[in-house]
Amino acid sequence: MIRIKDLVKTFDDSTVLDGVTLDVNAGEIVTVLGASGSGKSTLIRCINGLERPSGGTITVDGNDVTTKAGLAASRRISATVFQLFNLYPHMTALGNITLAPVEVLGKSKAEAEEQARALLAKVGLAGHADKYPQQLSGGQRQRVGICRALAMQPRYILLDEVTSALDPETTGEVLDILQKLATEATTMVFVTHEVAFARSISTRIVFMEAGKLLVDMPTEEFFAENGGLAVPRIRQFLSQIRKD
Amino acid sequence: MRVWRVIEPYIGFLLQGFALTIFACLLAIIGAVILGGIVASMRASQRSALRWVAHAYSDIFRNVPFLVQLFFLFYGLPELGIYIGAFETGVIALSLAGGAFVSDVILSGIRSIDRGVIEAARVSGLNDVKVFLRIVLPIALRVSVRPVGSVLINLVLTSSILSTITVNELTGVAKIVAAETFKPFEVYAVLLVLYASFTTALSLAIVAWHRRLNRFMTGA
Ligand SMILES: Nc1ncnc2c1ncn2[C@@H]1O[C@H](COP(=O)(O)OP(=O)(O)OP(=O)(O)O)[C@@H](O)[C@H]1O
Ligand SMILES: [Mg+2]
Repeated sequence: MIRIKDLVKTFDDSTVLDGVTLDVNAGEIVTVLGASGSGKSTLIRCINGLERPSGGTITVDGNDVTTKAGLAASRRISATVFQLFNLYPHMTALGNITLAPVEVLGKSKAEAEEQARALLAKVGLAGHADKYPQQLSGGQRQRVGICRALAMQPRYILLDEVTSALDPETTGEVLDILQKLATEATTMVFVTHEVAFARSISTRIVFMEAGKLLVDMPTEEFFAENGGLAVPRIRQFLSQIRKD
Repeated sequence: MRVWRVIEPYIGFLLQGFALTIFACLLAIIGAVILGGIVASMRASQRSALRWVAHAYSDIFRNVPFLVQLFFLFYGLPELGIYIGAFETGVIALSLAGGAFVSDVILSGIRSIDRGVIEAARVSGLNDVKVFLRIVLPIALRVSVRPVGSVLINLVLTSSILSTITVNELTGVAKIVAAETFKPFEVYAVLLVLYASFTTALSLAIVAWHRRLNRFMTGA
Protein backbone atom coordinates (compact mmCIF):
# COMPACT_ATOMS: atom_id res chain seq x y z
CA MET A 1 0.00 0.00 0.00
CA ILE A 2 1.14 3.53 -0.75
CA ARG A 3 0.30 5.73 2.23
CA ILE A 4 0.58 9.46 1.90
CA LYS A 5 -0.21 11.50 4.96
CA ASP A 6 -0.34 15.29 5.31
CA LEU A 7 2.16 15.67 2.48
CA VAL A 8 3.47 19.20 2.06
CA LYS A 9 5.88 20.32 -0.63
CA THR A 10 7.14 23.84 -0.93
CA PHE A 11 9.50 25.30 -3.52
CA ASP A 12 11.15 28.42 -2.14
CA ASP A 13 8.06 30.12 -0.78
CA SER A 14 5.34 28.62 -2.97
CA THR A 15 3.36 25.74 -1.51
CA VAL A 16 2.77 23.22 -4.26
CA LEU A 17 1.36 20.37 -2.15
CA ASP A 18 -0.64 21.50 0.79
CA GLY A 19 -1.51 18.61 3.06
CA VAL A 20 -2.23 15.69 0.75
CA THR A 21 -3.48 12.50 2.35
CA LEU A 22 -4.05 9.51 0.08
CA ASP A 23 -3.90 5.73 0.40
CA VAL A 24 -3.49 3.52 -2.63
CA ASN A 25 -4.26 -0.11 -1.92
CA ALA A 26 -2.92 -3.05 -3.84
CA GLY A 27 -4.95 -3.69 -6.97
CA GLU A 28 -6.34 -0.18 -7.18
CA ILE A 29 -6.01 2.09 -10.16
CA VAL A 30 -6.13 5.63 -8.92
CA THR A 31 -6.36 8.41 -11.45
CA VAL A 32 -5.22 11.86 -10.46
CA LEU A 33 -7.01 14.65 -12.27
CA GLY A 34 -6.53 18.37 -11.88
CA ALA A 35 -5.69 21.54 -13.71
CA SER A 36 -2.21 22.33 -14.91
CA GLY A 37 -0.06 23.42 -11.99
CA SER A 38 -2.28 21.81 -9.37
CA GLY A 39 0.60 19.61 -8.16
CA LYS A 40 -0.03 16.24 -9.83
CA SER A 41 3.51 15.73 -11.10
CA THR A 42 4.95 16.93 -7.83
CA LEU A 43 2.84 14.34 -6.01
CA ILE A 44 4.23 11.57 -8.23
CA ARG A 45 7.77 12.91 -7.82
CA CYS A 46 7.43 12.86 -4.05
CA ILE A 47 6.26 9.24 -4.13
CA ASN A 48 9.19 8.08 -6.28
CA GLY A 49 11.66 10.14 -4.32
CA LEU A 50 12.64 12.62 -7.01
CA GLU A 51 11.43 15.39 -4.73
CA ARG A 52 11.87 15.44 -1.00
CA PRO A 53 8.68 16.20 0.93
CA SER A 54 8.79 19.36 3.02
CA GLY A 55 6.38 17.79 5.49
CA GLY A 56 4.21 14.74 6.10
CA THR A 57 4.99 11.11 5.39
CA ILE A 58 4.99 8.74 2.44
CA THR A 59 5.43 5.02 2.82
CA VAL A 60 5.36 2.33 0.15
CA ASP A 61 4.58 -1.02 1.71
CA GLY A 62 5.84 0.45 4.95
CA ASN A 63 9.08 1.81 3.50
CA ASP A 64 9.53 5.47 4.36
CA VAL A 65 10.68 7.10 1.13
CA THR A 66 12.36 9.96 2.96
CA THR A 67 15.01 7.59 4.32
CA LYS A 68 17.77 6.25 2.13
CA ALA A 69 17.06 2.61 2.88
CA GLY A 70 13.31 3.11 2.65
CA LEU A 71 13.59 4.79 -0.71
CA ALA A 72 15.85 2.06 -2.06
CA ALA A 73 13.37 -0.59 -0.91
CA SER A 74 10.44 1.34 -2.32
CA ARG A 75 12.13 1.78 -5.69
CA ARG A 76 12.55 -1.99 -5.96
CA ILE A 77 8.80 -2.47 -5.82
CA SER A 78 7.58 0.53 -7.76
CA ALA A 79 8.27 1.95 -11.19
CA THR A 80 7.59 5.17 -13.05
CA VAL A 81 6.63 5.86 -16.64
CA PHE A 82 7.41 9.40 -17.77
CA GLN A 83 5.70 11.87 -20.03
CA LEU A 84 8.82 12.39 -22.15
CA PHE A 85 9.80 8.68 -22.02
CA ASN A 86 13.30 9.45 -20.66
CA LEU A 87 14.83 6.43 -22.34
CA TYR A 88 18.59 6.00 -22.09
CA PRO A 89 19.72 7.30 -25.49
CA HIS A 90 22.93 5.26 -25.61
CA MET A 91 21.25 1.91 -25.06
CA THR A 92 19.04 -0.24 -27.27
CA ALA A 93 15.47 -0.98 -26.30
CA LEU A 94 16.73 -4.22 -24.81
CA GLY A 95 19.48 -2.39 -22.90
CA ASN A 96 16.99 0.11 -21.54
CA ILE A 97 14.74 -2.65 -20.26
CA THR A 98 17.39 -4.94 -18.79
CA LEU A 99 19.57 -2.37 -17.00
CA ALA A 100 17.69 -2.18 -13.72
CA PRO A 101 16.70 -5.85 -13.47
CA VAL A 102 20.38 -6.77 -13.80
CA GLU A 103 21.86 -3.96 -11.71
CA VAL A 104 19.18 -3.61 -9.05
CA LEU A 105 17.43 -6.96 -8.82
CA GLY A 106 20.59 -8.94 -9.57
CA LYS A 107 19.08 -10.97 -12.39
CA SER A 108 21.40 -12.66 -14.84
CA LYS A 109 21.76 -10.93 -18.16
CA ALA A 110 20.29 -13.89 -20.03
CA GLU A 111 17.26 -14.04 -17.80
CA ALA A 112 16.68 -10.29 -17.99
CA GLU A 113 16.96 -10.33 -21.78
CA GLU A 114 14.56 -13.20 -22.15
CA GLN A 115 12.06 -11.36 -19.99
CA ALA A 116 12.64 -8.10 -21.87
CA ARG A 117 12.00 -9.79 -25.22
CA ALA A 118 8.78 -11.25 -23.89
CA LEU A 119 7.67 -7.82 -22.71
CA LEU A 120 8.56 -6.23 -26.05
CA ALA A 121 6.58 -8.90 -27.85
CA LYS A 122 3.64 -8.22 -25.59
CA VAL A 123 3.58 -4.53 -26.55
CA GLY A 124 4.01 -5.30 -30.25
CA LEU A 125 7.71 -4.44 -30.50
CA ALA A 126 9.16 -7.91 -30.96
CA GLY A 127 11.32 -6.85 -33.90
CA HIS A 128 12.68 -3.72 -32.25
CA ALA A 129 14.77 -5.07 -29.39
CA ASP A 130 18.06 -3.93 -30.86
CA LYS A 131 16.95 -0.48 -31.94
CA TYR A 132 18.04 2.67 -30.21
CA PRO A 133 15.45 5.17 -28.91
CA GLN A 134 16.43 7.48 -31.75
CA GLN A 135 15.28 4.86 -34.25
CA LEU A 136 11.83 4.49 -32.70
CA SER A 137 8.67 6.57 -33.03
CA GLY A 138 7.21 8.37 -30.01
CA GLY A 139 4.60 5.71 -29.41
CA GLN A 140 7.21 2.95 -29.71
CA ARG A 141 9.48 4.77 -27.28
CA GLN A 142 6.76 5.04 -24.73
CA ARG A 143 5.99 1.35 -25.12
CA VAL A 144 9.65 0.66 -24.39
CA GLY A 145 9.31 3.00 -21.40
CA ILE A 146 6.41 0.89 -20.17
CA CYS A 147 8.39 -2.33 -20.68
CA ARG A 148 11.27 -0.81 -18.74
CA ALA A 149 8.91 -0.17 -15.85
CA LEU A 150 7.30 -3.61 -16.07
CA ALA A 151 10.65 -5.40 -16.17
CA MET A 152 11.06 -4.54 -12.50
CA GLN A 153 7.89 -6.53 -11.84
CA PRO A 154 6.68 -3.63 -9.75
CA ARG A 155 3.79 -3.77 -7.34
CA TYR A 156 3.12 -0.11 -8.06
CA ILE A 157 3.36 1.79 -11.31
CA LEU A 158 3.33 5.56 -11.35
CA LEU A 159 2.38 7.12 -14.67
CA ASP A 160 2.63 10.85 -15.24
CA GLU A 161 0.82 11.97 -18.38
CA VAL A 162 2.38 9.18 -20.36
CA THR A 163 0.44 9.98 -23.51
CA SER A 164 0.59 13.78 -23.54
CA ALA A 165 3.62 13.86 -25.79
CA LEU A 166 1.96 11.59 -28.35
CA ASP A 167 -0.41 12.25 -31.20
CA PRO A 168 -3.98 10.91 -30.92
CA GLU A 169 -3.25 7.83 -33.00
CA THR A 170 -0.21 6.68 -31.02
CA THR A 171 -1.95 7.63 -27.80
CA GLY A 172 -4.36 4.82 -28.62
CA GLU A 173 -1.52 2.29 -28.92
CA VAL A 174 -0.23 3.19 -25.49
CA LEU A 175 -3.63 3.32 -23.84
CA ASP A 176 -4.41 -0.16 -25.19
CA ILE A 177 -1.37 -1.46 -23.38
CA LEU A 178 -2.32 0.27 -20.16
CA GLN A 179 -5.77 -1.19 -20.52
CA LYS A 180 -4.23 -4.66 -20.65
CA LEU A 181 -2.15 -3.90 -17.60
CA ALA A 182 -5.17 -2.72 -15.73
CA THR A 183 -6.73 -6.13 -16.10
CA GLU A 184 -3.61 -7.77 -14.68
CA ALA A 185 -4.14 -6.36 -11.20
CA THR A 186 -1.19 -4.02 -11.29
CA THR A 187 -1.58 -1.13 -8.89
CA MET A 188 -1.35 2.18 -10.66
CA VAL A 189 -1.30 5.84 -9.87
CA PHE A 190 -2.23 7.46 -13.10
CA VAL A 191 -1.94 11.16 -13.82
CA THR A 192 -3.73 11.97 -17.04
CA HIS A 193 -5.89 14.34 -18.98
CA GLU A 194 -7.54 11.44 -20.81
CA VAL A 195 -10.72 11.58 -18.77
CA ALA A 196 -12.68 9.06 -20.80
CA PHE A 197 -9.88 6.53 -20.53
CA ALA A 198 -9.44 7.23 -16.82
CA ARG A 199 -13.11 6.60 -16.35
CA SER A 200 -12.87 3.25 -18.08
CA ILE A 201 -9.91 1.85 -16.14
CA SER A 202 -9.75 3.54 -12.73
CA THR A 203 -11.17 2.22 -9.56
CA ARG A 204 -10.87 5.64 -7.94
CA ILE A 205 -10.43 9.22 -8.98
CA VAL A 206 -8.85 11.99 -6.98
CA PHE A 207 -9.12 15.57 -8.05
CA MET A 208 -6.39 18.03 -7.14
CA GLU A 209 -6.80 21.73 -6.85
CA ALA A 210 -3.99 24.07 -5.82
CA GLY A 211 -2.03 21.41 -3.97
CA LYS A 212 -4.98 19.90 -2.16
CA LEU A 213 -7.13 16.85 -2.83
CA LEU A 214 -10.52 18.34 -3.51
CA VAL A 215 -12.27 14.98 -3.80
CA ASP A 216 -11.30 11.33 -3.59
CA MET A 217 -14.08 9.08 -4.84
CA PRO A 218 -14.75 5.72 -6.48
CA THR A 219 -14.88 6.28 -10.23
CA GLU A 220 -18.60 5.75 -10.57
CA GLU A 221 -19.36 8.21 -7.83
CA PHE A 222 -16.99 10.77 -9.31
CA PHE A 223 -18.92 10.83 -12.56
CA ALA A 224 -22.35 10.74 -10.90
CA GLU A 225 -24.58 13.80 -10.96
CA ASN A 226 -24.96 13.70 -7.21
CA GLY A 227 -21.26 12.79 -6.66
CA GLY A 228 -18.22 14.48 -8.22
CA LEU A 229 -20.29 16.32 -10.77
CA ALA A 230 -22.12 18.05 -7.98
CA VAL A 231 -18.87 19.85 -7.15
CA PRO A 232 -18.89 23.02 -9.28
CA ARG A 233 -15.09 23.06 -9.76
CA ILE A 234 -15.08 19.49 -11.09
CA ARG A 235 -18.04 20.08 -13.37
CA GLN A 236 -16.21 23.10 -14.78
CA PHE A 237 -12.96 21.13 -15.18
CA LEU A 238 -14.65 18.26 -17.01
CA SER A 239 -16.58 20.52 -19.36
CA GLN A 240 -13.36 22.32 -20.21
CA ILE A 241 -11.54 19.08 -20.96
CA ARG A 242 -14.37 17.92 -23.21
CA LYS A 243 -14.12 21.10 -25.21
CA ASP A 244 -10.43 20.59 -26.08
CA MET B 1 65.60 15.94 -53.54
CA ARG B 2 67.56 18.34 -51.40
CA VAL B 3 65.69 17.49 -48.22
CA TRP B 4 66.15 13.77 -48.65
CA ARG B 5 69.92 14.11 -49.24
CA VAL B 6 70.28 15.97 -45.94
CA ILE B 7 67.96 13.74 -43.96
CA GLU B 8 68.88 10.31 -45.29
CA PRO B 9 71.73 9.55 -42.86
CA TYR B 10 69.58 10.61 -39.91
CA ILE B 11 66.29 9.06 -40.91
CA GLY B 12 66.57 6.17 -38.45
CA PHE B 13 67.37 8.57 -35.64
CA LEU B 14 64.46 10.86 -36.53
CA LEU B 15 62.05 7.96 -36.74
CA GLN B 16 63.23 6.79 -33.33
CA GLY B 17 62.31 10.24 -32.02
CA PHE B 18 58.98 10.04 -33.80
CA ALA B 19 58.30 6.66 -32.24
CA LEU B 20 59.08 8.08 -28.81
CA THR B 21 56.71 10.99 -29.45
CA ILE B 22 53.94 8.59 -30.42
CA PHE B 23 54.61 6.40 -27.40
CA ALA B 24 54.70 9.33 -24.96
CA CYS B 25 51.53 10.82 -26.47
CA LEU B 26 49.58 7.57 -26.39
CA LEU B 27 50.47 7.07 -22.73
CA ALA B 28 49.60 10.68 -21.93
CA ILE B 29 46.33 10.45 -23.87
CA ILE B 30 45.30 7.45 -21.80
CA GLY B 31 46.39 9.26 -18.64
CA ALA B 32 44.65 12.51 -19.55
CA VAL B 33 41.36 10.83 -20.47
CA ILE B 34 41.24 8.72 -17.31
CA LEU B 35 42.28 11.64 -15.13
CA GLY B 36 39.90 14.00 -16.93
CA GLY B 37 37.01 11.56 -16.44
CA ILE B 38 37.76 11.21 -12.74
CA VAL B 39 38.22 14.94 -12.21
CA ALA B 40 35.05 15.74 -14.16
CA SER B 41 33.10 13.34 -11.95
CA MET B 42 34.58 14.98 -8.87
CA ARG B 43 33.63 18.40 -10.19
CA ALA B 44 30.07 17.16 -10.77
CA SER B 45 29.91 15.50 -7.36
CA GLN B 46 27.57 16.45 -4.51
CA ARG B 47 30.47 16.55 -2.07
CA SER B 48 31.98 19.96 -1.74
CA ALA B 49 35.40 18.67 -0.65
CA LEU B 50 35.75 16.62 -3.84
CA ARG B 51 34.53 19.51 -5.93
CA TRP B 52 37.02 21.85 -4.29
CA VAL B 53 40.01 19.57 -4.85
CA ALA B 54 39.04 18.98 -8.47
CA HIS B 55 38.53 22.67 -9.12
CA ALA B 56 41.87 23.58 -7.59
CA TYR B 57 43.58 20.99 -9.78
CA SER B 58 41.97 22.02 -13.04
CA ASP B 59 42.38 25.73 -12.33
CA ILE B 60 46.07 25.38 -11.58
CA PHE B 61 46.91 23.22 -14.57
CA ARG B 62 44.90 25.28 -17.01
CA ASN B 63 46.36 28.55 -15.85
CA VAL B 64 50.08 27.87 -15.68
CA PRO B 65 52.26 27.56 -18.81
CA PHE B 66 53.05 23.96 -19.64
CA LEU B 67 56.77 24.66 -19.68
CA VAL B 68 56.58 25.88 -16.08
CA GLN B 69 54.60 22.79 -15.03
CA LEU B 70 57.13 20.59 -16.74
CA PHE B 71 60.15 22.24 -15.11
CA PHE B 72 58.37 22.28 -11.78
CA LEU B 73 57.94 18.50 -11.94
CA PHE B 74 61.35 17.84 -13.48
CA TYR B 75 63.26 19.78 -10.84
CA GLY B 76 60.66 19.56 -8.08
CA LEU B 77 60.07 15.80 -7.87
CA PRO B 78 63.71 15.02 -6.96
CA GLU B 79 63.44 17.62 -4.20
CA LEU B 80 60.57 15.57 -2.85
CA GLY B 81 62.71 12.44 -3.04
CA ILE B 82 60.94 11.12 -6.14
CA TYR B 83 63.42 10.04 -8.78
CA ILE B 84 61.92 9.11 -12.13
CA GLY B 85 63.29 9.50 -15.62
CA ALA B 86 62.76 12.48 -17.87
CA PHE B 87 60.47 10.44 -20.15
CA GLU B 88 58.24 9.40 -17.25
CA THR B 89 58.19 12.94 -15.93
CA GLY B 90 57.18 14.19 -19.35
CA VAL B 91 54.34 11.68 -19.68
CA ILE B 92 53.06 12.59 -16.22
CA ALA B 93 53.22 16.31 -16.95
CA LEU B 94 51.35 15.87 -20.24
CA SER B 95 48.71 13.72 -18.55
CA LEU B 96 48.22 16.24 -15.76
CA ALA B 97 47.90 19.20 -18.10
CA GLY B 98 45.74 17.32 -20.62
CA GLY B 99 43.56 15.92 -17.83
CA ALA B 100 42.67 19.41 -16.64
CA PHE B 101 41.36 20.37 -20.08
CA VAL B 102 39.69 17.00 -20.68
CA SER B 103 37.85 17.38 -17.38
CA ASP B 104 36.42 20.71 -18.57
CA VAL B 105 35.08 19.15 -21.71
CA ILE B 106 33.62 16.07 -20.03
CA LEU B 107 32.06 18.24 -17.33
CA SER B 108 30.18 20.27 -19.89
CA GLY B 109 29.12 16.97 -21.47
CA ILE B 110 27.78 15.87 -18.08
CA ARG B 111 25.92 19.15 -17.65
CA SER B 112 24.28 18.81 -21.05
CA ILE B 113 22.58 15.51 -20.18
CA ASP B 114 18.80 15.54 -20.04
CA ARG B 115 17.76 15.56 -16.35
CA GLY B 116 14.86 13.26 -17.12
CA VAL B 117 17.16 10.49 -18.29
CA ILE B 118 19.11 10.63 -15.05
CA GLU B 119 15.89 10.71 -13.05
CA ALA B 120 14.63 7.62 -14.86
CA ALA B 121 17.78 5.77 -13.86
CA ARG B 122 17.57 6.89 -10.25
CA VAL B 123 13.91 5.98 -9.97
CA SER B 124 14.65 2.52 -11.33
CA GLY B 125 16.69 1.94 -8.18
CA LEU B 126 20.24 2.37 -9.47
CA ASN B 127 22.47 3.88 -6.81
CA ASP B 128 24.38 7.09 -7.45
CA VAL B 129 27.58 5.33 -8.47
CA LYS B 130 25.79 3.12 -10.97
CA VAL B 131 23.79 6.02 -12.35
CA PHE B 132 27.06 7.80 -12.92
CA LEU B 133 28.93 4.88 -14.45
CA ARG B 134 26.14 3.44 -16.59
CA ILE B 135 24.26 6.57 -17.64
CA VAL B 136 25.97 9.89 -16.98
CA LEU B 137 29.54 9.08 -17.96
CA PRO B 138 28.79 7.07 -21.12
CA ILE B 139 26.48 9.79 -22.44
CA ALA B 140 28.91 12.57 -21.50
CA LEU B 141 31.76 10.74 -23.21
CA ARG B 142 29.72 10.35 -26.36
CA VAL B 143 28.92 14.02 -26.64
CA SER B 144 32.48 14.97 -25.65
CA VAL B 145 34.43 12.89 -28.14
CA ARG B 146 35.10 15.74 -30.57
CA PRO B 147 36.07 18.43 -28.05
CA VAL B 148 38.17 15.89 -26.16
CA GLY B 149 39.80 15.18 -29.52
CA SER B 150 40.89 18.80 -29.88
CA VAL B 151 42.40 18.68 -26.43
CA LEU B 152 44.30 15.53 -27.35
CA ILE B 153 45.62 17.03 -30.56
CA ASN B 154 46.85 19.97 -28.54
CA LEU B 155 48.51 17.50 -26.22
CA VAL B 156 50.44 16.03 -29.15
CA LEU B 157 51.60 19.49 -30.18
CA THR B 158 52.60 20.30 -26.62
CA SER B 159 54.66 17.11 -26.38
CA SER B 160 57.39 18.86 -28.38
CA ILE B 161 58.16 20.81 -25.21
CA LEU B 162 59.39 17.59 -23.60
CA SER B 163 62.59 18.14 -25.58
CA THR B 164 63.44 20.84 -23.03
CA ILE B 165 63.90 18.24 -20.30
CA THR B 166 66.23 16.05 -22.37
CA VAL B 167 63.58 13.68 -23.71
CA ASN B 168 64.70 12.72 -27.19
CA GLU B 169 61.31 12.72 -28.78
CA LEU B 170 60.81 14.03 -32.28
CA THR B 171 61.59 17.68 -31.58
CA GLY B 172 64.51 16.69 -29.37
CA VAL B 173 66.21 14.58 -32.05
CA ALA B 174 65.42 17.23 -34.66
CA LYS B 175 67.33 19.81 -32.66
CA ILE B 176 70.31 17.47 -32.55
CA VAL B 177 70.17 16.73 -36.26
CA ALA B 178 69.76 20.40 -37.12
CA ALA B 179 72.79 21.27 -35.03
CA GLU B 180 74.92 18.57 -36.66
CA THR B 181 73.93 19.28 -40.26
CA PHE B 182 73.50 23.06 -40.05
CA LYS B 183 70.41 22.46 -42.21
CA PRO B 184 67.52 23.42 -39.89
CA PHE B 185 65.08 24.11 -42.74
CA GLU B 186 65.32 20.60 -44.17
CA VAL B 187 65.09 19.03 -40.73
CA TYR B 188 62.06 21.01 -39.65
CA ALA B 189 60.37 20.44 -43.00
CA VAL B 190 60.48 16.74 -42.21
CA LEU B 191 59.21 17.43 -38.70
CA LEU B 192 56.29 19.36 -40.06
CA VAL B 193 55.24 16.38 -42.16
CA LEU B 194 55.65 13.92 -39.30
CA TYR B 195 53.68 15.96 -36.75
CA ALA B 196 50.98 16.74 -39.27
CA SER B 197 50.59 13.08 -40.19
CA PHE B 198 50.35 12.07 -36.53
CA THR B 199 47.73 14.69 -35.65
CA THR B 200 45.79 14.02 -38.85
CA ALA B 201 45.70 10.31 -38.08
CA LEU B 202 44.58 11.11 -34.56
CA SER B 203 41.82 13.43 -35.67
CA LEU B 204 40.58 10.94 -38.26
CA ALA B 205 40.45 8.31 -35.55
CA ILE B 206 38.48 10.69 -33.34
CA VAL B 207 35.97 11.51 -36.05
CA ALA B 208 35.47 7.81 -36.75
CA TRP B 209 35.07 7.05 -33.08
CA HIS B 210 32.62 9.90 -32.64
CA ARG B 211 30.55 8.61 -35.55
CA ARG B 212 30.54 5.12 -34.17
CA LEU B 213 29.55 6.10 -30.67
CA ASN B 214 26.90 8.56 -31.77
CA ARG B 215 25.32 6.47 -34.50
CA PHE B 216 21.98 6.50 -32.77
CA MET B 217 22.17 9.51 -30.54
CA THR B 218 20.41 12.79 -31.05
CA GLY B 219 21.85 16.22 -30.53
CA ALA B 220 25.43 14.99 -30.59
N1 LIG C 1 11.36 22.32 -9.15
C1 LIG C 1 10.42 23.27 -8.99
N2 LIG C 1 10.76 24.49 -8.53
C2 LIG C 1 9.82 25.46 -8.35
N3 LIG C 1 8.53 25.30 -8.61
C3 LIG C 1 8.12 24.10 -9.09
C4 LIG C 1 9.06 23.03 -9.29
N4 LIG C 1 8.36 21.96 -9.76
C5 LIG C 1 7.08 22.35 -9.84
N5 LIG C 1 6.93 23.63 -9.43
C6 LIG C 1 5.65 24.39 -9.37
O1 LIG C 1 4.72 23.62 -8.68
C7 LIG C 1 3.42 23.76 -9.23
C8 LIG C 1 2.84 22.40 -9.49
O2 LIG C 1 3.61 21.78 -10.53
P1 LIG C 1 3.29 20.32 -11.07
O3 LIG C 1 4.26 20.05 -12.15
O4 LIG C 1 3.24 19.38 -9.94
O5 LIG C 1 1.84 20.53 -11.66
P2 LIG C 1 0.97 19.53 -12.52
O6 LIG C 1 -0.32 19.39 -11.82
O7 LIG C 1 1.73 18.30 -12.81
O8 LIG C 1 0.75 20.36 -13.86
P3 LIG C 1 0.66 19.84 -15.38
O9 LIG C 1 -0.73 19.34 -15.59
O10 LIG C 1 0.91 21.09 -16.17
O11 LIG C 1 1.70 18.81 -15.57
C9 LIG C 1 3.56 24.63 -10.44
O12 LIG C 1 3.14 25.93 -10.10
C10 LIG C 1 5.03 24.61 -10.74
O13 LIG C 1 5.44 25.82 -11.29
MG1 LIG D 1 2.59 17.46 -14.56
